[in-house]
Amino acid sequence: MEYVIELKNVDKEFKVLNRHEGLKGSFQDLFSRDYKIIKAVNDVSMNIKPGEIVGYLGPNGAGKSTTIKMMTGVLQPTRGEILVNGKVPYKNRTANAQNIGVVFGQRSQLWWSLPLIESFKLLKDIYNISDKDYKDMLTLYESLVDIKELYSKPVRQMSLGQRTLSDILAAFLHNPPIVFLDEPTIGLDVSMKAKIRNLIKALNKEKNTTVILTTHDMGDVDALCERIVIIDKGTMLYDNDIEHLRSFFGAYRTLLIKTKKHPEELTDDEKKAELDNVEAIVKEAFADKEFTFSSTDEGWCSILIDESQVRLMKVLNHIQEKIKVYDVRLEEISTESVIRKIYEDAENMKKAN
Amino acid sequence: MRIKSWIALTRVSIMDFMQFRLSAFVMLIGNIIYLIVIYNLWKAIYASVDNATINGMSFNDTMIYLVLASAQFTFMEAYLVWMMSRSIQSGKIVLDLLKPVPYSQYLLFGLEGGNICAFVVTFIPTFIIVEIITKGYIHLGINTLFYLVAATLGMLINFAIDFFVGTICLYTQSTWGINIMKEVVVLFLSGATVPLAFFPETLRKIVMFFPFHAIYNTPLTFLTKGPELSLAESFIMVGEQAAWVIVLILIGKIFWKLSERVITVNGG
Ligand SMILES: Nc1ncnc2c1ncn2[C@@H]1O[C@H](COP(=O)(O)OP(=O)(O)O)[C@@H](O)[C@H]1O
Ligand SMILES: [Mg+2]
Repeated sequence: MEYVIELKNVDKEFKVLNRHEGLKGSFQDLFSRDYKIIKAVNDVSMNIKPGEIVGYLGPNGAGKSTTIKMMTGVLQPTRGEILVNGKVPYKNRTANAQNIGVVFGQRSQLWWSLPLIESFKLLKDIYNISDKDYKDMLTLYESLVDIKELYSKPVRQMSLGQRTLSDILAAFLHNPPIVFLDEPTIGLDVSMKAKIRNLIKALNKEKNTTVILTTHDMGDVDALCERIVIIDKGTMLYDNDIEHLRSFFGAYRTLLIKTKKHPEELTDDEKKAELDNVEAIVKEAFADKEFTFSSTDEGWCSILIDESQVRLMKVLNHIQEKIKVYDVRLEEISTESVIRKIYEDAENMKKAN
Repeated sequence: MRIKSWIALTRVSIMDFMQFRLSAFVMLIGNIIYLIVIYNLWKAIYASVDNATINGMSFNDTMIYLVLASAQFTFMEAYLVWMMSRSIQSGKIVLDLLKPVPYSQYLLFGLEGGNICAFVVTFIPTFIIVEIITKGYIHLGINTLFYLVAATLGMLINFAIDFFVGTICLYTQSTWGINIMKEVVVLFLSGATVPLAFFPETLRKIVMFFPFHAIYNTPLTFLTKGPELSLAESFIMVGEQAAWVIVLILIGKIFWKLSERVITVNGG
């Protein structure tokens, strides 16, 4: 078997009731046949090889979780074919569950009130893991993260980071060929994110587990994925390896400027104001050129520049004439900017049509 | 290998129960208040008639029956419908559906530990206290063994009904009303709140066609009427329960299989 996961022209539609307002509306809804169809996933195809880590990216509501749920078998595709480990996931879901691991965002599969190790022991028995495999897996875990001290801790007393870590370990425990991670790093601080990325990478390497990871954190992608698939409004925009993505945008470079002494202390609104100001300055001087603007978490203004249109130094010089710049950084194109660009292009294409 | 999963789930649910000692305590207090209320209620009922017995039951018979029924309630009621509706609405059910154990079994054995614990913590002490106060009213013998079997089967019937009602929660947001309705119907028609002997003749006959009486009335009969039951009668009663277990679990499974589409097709 060449591929562990195959999706062929997969659609998923949801039928939702058009709800009416108020008490009278609630009664109307009881008998209403006024449905509308939401197309959550639209003609998605991809093939995934064993051992790959695939980053599945897209903004909120893009259809990432819906796709993952179809691959796990809890959702049935409306049209198209899915094979996971060579089987149709929703047929015989319970039996297929043996061959996958899942983590859904902030939802935990661990027993809330019990020490972590009790959840692990339960999983050992329901997944029928042999004593040896179980012991080996725990030894591996202990070599990768400080998990030992969490064994006796009730899950409800854990921090979000510790719980996410535990949930990821729980998903890998029966050594499934595929693990689905739906936004595993959401809500975590920087150091915990790094820890979790290292863990996922190490487990993937050690066990050759295929990992499908949804996220909208570009750091996850840069740290983990050789391949990314981008989806927006249910439609696939991109599927290729990350190097290809970077070379595809080879003429692009990112200019980062610091317009305040301590931009990291700005509120989100103030950061936006700074960015808008810079955007206005640049657009005024280079009206016919294309740029992509964004702010970084640290409050820097980031400008994606196509050097085949205008030299980066020209833009920088112009900005410096207009406002005080505290610091400057140049970057080869970041994945984040690339993805933003892909979204924007897709938007523009739609508008043009 | 399924059995290994069952045991593991039971084990975990026992430990889970231990974590909530306080709620067991609250349950006990609630139960005592309930008993004080019904004690006074039935005292008033018996005071209002001339006979010492009503429908063949003396005040003592009635009280002992109801005390045991309420003790049985504390270990049988697992609040499955609440649990299912909550996990459906929160979406947590997705994780349960992705376990290599069928959902109904995952629920049953994930609750069973709690039932066993509550049996030990509330039913056995109640039983002993009743025996001491009444100086051996409840006959101890083969009938007590039958009680254990009948209570287990009753629990399975109760589970199957709860699972069926919980499945209805897939179709509607207003699970509160459904659950209350189920509680009232099951507790009344099973003889948990009023002994079936007090039901009018026709109602009692009708009730016998439903599975509810097999949850409370049948097991409790083994305790309160122990020596009067022949072995043959006892086996017929337990056999009827077993038949209900099979029928209801089958119906529950089929209904679930059909209703699962609400999640797998409509996304819950
Ligand atoms: N059960 C559902 N019923 C109706 N609409 C849904 C359901 N689940 C998801 N959707 C809709 O499908 C789209 C994709 O959702 P989702 O896959 O959760 O996106 P993502 O995970 O990328 O944020 C959204 O518009 C969402 O509102
Ligand atoms: Mg999602």
